[in-house]
Amino acid sequence: MIQPQTHLNVADNSGARELMCIRVIGASNHRYAHIGDVIVAVIKEAVPNTPLERSEVIRAVIVRTSKELKRDNSMIMRYDDNAAVVIDQEGNPKGTRIFGVIARELRQLNFTKIVSLSA
Amino acid sequence: MQSFIGGSIRLGQRQGFPRWNRAQFKSSAKAYLPSQSSSNAVQGTNNSIKSPNNHLLQFLGTTFVSQANGVCSVPVLSPLAAMMSSSSSIYMTTAAFPNMHSSEPFPDVPTRIKFKRLDKTAKHIMQIVDKEAVEEVKRQRDVPEIKPGYIVQLKVEVPENKRRLSTIKGIVIARRNAGLNTTFRIRRMVAGVGVESLFPLYSPNIKEIKVLDKKKVRRAKLYYLRNKMNALR
Repeated sequence: MIQPQTHLNVADNSGARELMCIRVIGASNHRYAHIGDVIVAVIKEAVPNTPLERSEVIRAVIVRTSKELKRDNSMIMRYDDNAAVVIDQEGNPKGTRIFGVIARELRQLNFTKIVSLSA
Repeated sequence: MQSFIGGSIRLGQRQGFPRWNRAQFKSSAKAYLPSQSSSNAVQGTNNSIKSPNNHLLQFLGTTFVSQANGVCSVPVLSPLAAMMSSSSSIYMTTAAFPNMHSSEPFPDVPTRIKFKRLDKTAKHIMQIVDKEAVEEVKRQRDVPEIKPGYIVQLKVEVPENKRRLSTIKGIVIARRNAGLNTTFRIRRMVAGVGVESLFPLYSPNIKEIKVLDKKKVRRAKLYYLRNKMNALR
């Protein structure tokens, strides 16, 4: 349940450390973003000497949420943090490595590169 | 004679007198008790009354069974029950049947099947169905007991993977009992991130559950572990 002003960890090595969500793509007001949704975010904290800098507006896809993710076989997954992966306009990740665990639902949403980079 | 007619009488009596007027009965089965003048159709639930010693009871039993297609209507035994109430102290007991006419002993009467009022049975019929479903699953698979604080290893079949079973190992932090939908939560560390998963206990996707260890906890729900950031599991 990510909404604007939500801070998210970054799960790749693109150079950003922490993002703040500005907008949920493809949604009107009062909609929350879940795993697999693309958001527009601003970088709040960045690793020095990387292409991405602080207060840069980028897009990201959410890979982990503290809100439960329900599956069809009535399994529920819940992560301990909210995390996103920085992507570009097409949906390819900007980083080269993914940290942490990724939900399996991203595979069906055509983020195959992200899924293949993760474990 | 009165003592031979087991649960049906009790059922008829439990309805009470004024209920007969509202009772519905199908005229397709007019069971005439041989020793009575006349009585209305007897319909009941699908519990059979077996007493091999008595022809009357057998007769009643067969009428019950023959119409026991899930029809639950109020059985009507008006003249019979009238006779009962006027005469006897045989009341709605589920205890041992008072042996008034104990001329004939019952050596092999089976344990009496308790009859509830049919609307009372209907209220918890879902409970009965649920219990049966749980027993069915337990017969097919061996489901161990899982309590909070157990360290558990599961083998889960994931339909997306399809090739092999994934092993999930973690500590049970909660268990919610709801019949067939009993669920339990497992908390584990995956690649530096804490993940909680909730599984139905009787899910067919869970191929195997193995209890590895039991930790002593003094709580039913161990949600405090979220803040403790358990590095051990």
